[in-house]
Amino acid sequence: MGRSKVSEASVPKQPTRKVQNLASYVYGVVPADLKSPPETEGLGDPAGKVRLVRHGEIAALVSDINADEPLGRPGDFLAHERLLDATAAKVPVLPFRFGGVVANADAVVAELLEPHHDEFIAALRELEGKAEFIIRGRYVERAVLAEILAENAEAESLRQAIRGRPEELTRDERIRLGEIISAGIEAKRDFDTQQLLDRLSGHYEMAVVREPTHEHDAVHVAMLARTSEQGRLEDTLTMFGERWEGRVDLRLLGPLAPYDFVVTDQQEV
Amino acid sequence: MTTSVQPAASGQMAGRPSSSGLADVIDTILDKGLVIDAYVRVSLVGIEILTVDARVVVASVDTYLRFAEAANRLDLAESEEGLTDVLAKTKGGGADKAKELVEGVVDTAGDKLRELTDKPRAAAEEPEVTVEREPRQAPRKRPRALREEG
Repeated sequence: MGRSKVSEASVPKQPTRKVQNLASYVYGVVPADLKSPPETEGLGDPAGKVRLVRHGEIAALVSDINADEPLGRPGDFLAHERLLDATAAKVPVLPFRFGGVVANADAVVAELLEPHHDEFIAALRELEGKAEFIIRGRYVERAVLAEILAENAEAESLRQAIRGRPEELTRDERIRLGEIISAGIEAKRDFDTQQLLDRLSGHYEMAVVREPTHEHDAVHVAMLARTSEQGRLEDTLTMFGERWEGRVDLRLLGPLAPYDFVVTDQQEV
Repeated sequence: MTTSVQPAASGQMAGRPSSSGLADVIDTILDKGLVIDAYVRVSLVGIEILTVDARVVVASVDTYLRFAEAANRLDLAESEEGLTDVLAKTKGGGADKAKELVEGVVDTAGDKLRELTDKPRAAAEEPEVTVEREPRQAPRKRPRALREEG
């Protein structure tokens, strides 16, 4: 992820120094008028205490971590996201990708907040009153297979052909059958996703159709929506949930920090 | 079904489990969000390799064989009426059931998480951490992998 710079964390150990090599883990940036961070624990073990490092009109959510300890346990991921989502429920927040660490609080100001102050402010203003919502739907395998077999005569006859026969002897048929199923799911995914987006239009500002991360994915969409629209999003999804009962497991996550709607300018180093 | 409309945060994060399972979180925070350009290098526990590429579903022969086997199993597990049943069930259904299923989903995520969290740190280096597994997947002989990169 990202570019690497010369590590400042790996200064040779000096026997007289403190054992811990502390650094500042950065979760995200918020408007400076946020009085205190949400009451969630930071990551690391033991969990770091989250605080705000302010500069001008913005502030960074940070916690101390031991830079010598690797990050990336499940608890670390969850702590990162929980803090940001709890924040997003209150104020606009620019979420950072997991794993962003700078040397210390001074560096947070000097390297992050100060040079990017104006662009961060502009982005935060744009996000005012909005949050991300993720809609995830997963096909119920039996149901979607039954649909495809019912809709596709070739698939059904291939299924008959492999029935009770060992895989070694029916490999070609199986591959062809799997291919039809795979294409069938893909087509259904596109169709169902579009249907959902059409039906929700007007209730969101922007939407990103995410790549499927599971082969049974039916819908995987991130939306930036006004938090005031949450009720209507829920109502519409409830309706879809009822319509797709037994066919698609549908979930709405949010309000979340707008992970899918902030981008980093990649030009200068 | 599962209208699992779960307002995750809304200030009540403390008592309730977050609606985001670990898999959701990983889909989100590893390859999205702003990137700090002046950062201290902190090692990540073997996770980063799996992030962007590995989570994209790529259809492969392996996938096809798995689907075919699922279709085959469907056939063996159900009589012909059974299949019709499945089709019939795709329409209609009760709210209770939906609720049950939602809870099921949440429980499963919670269990998974607990299981992962309880593992010693070293175990986190196993790539399996980021791989979502279907609980109902029968322990077939396919290489331990519902690994999505196929």
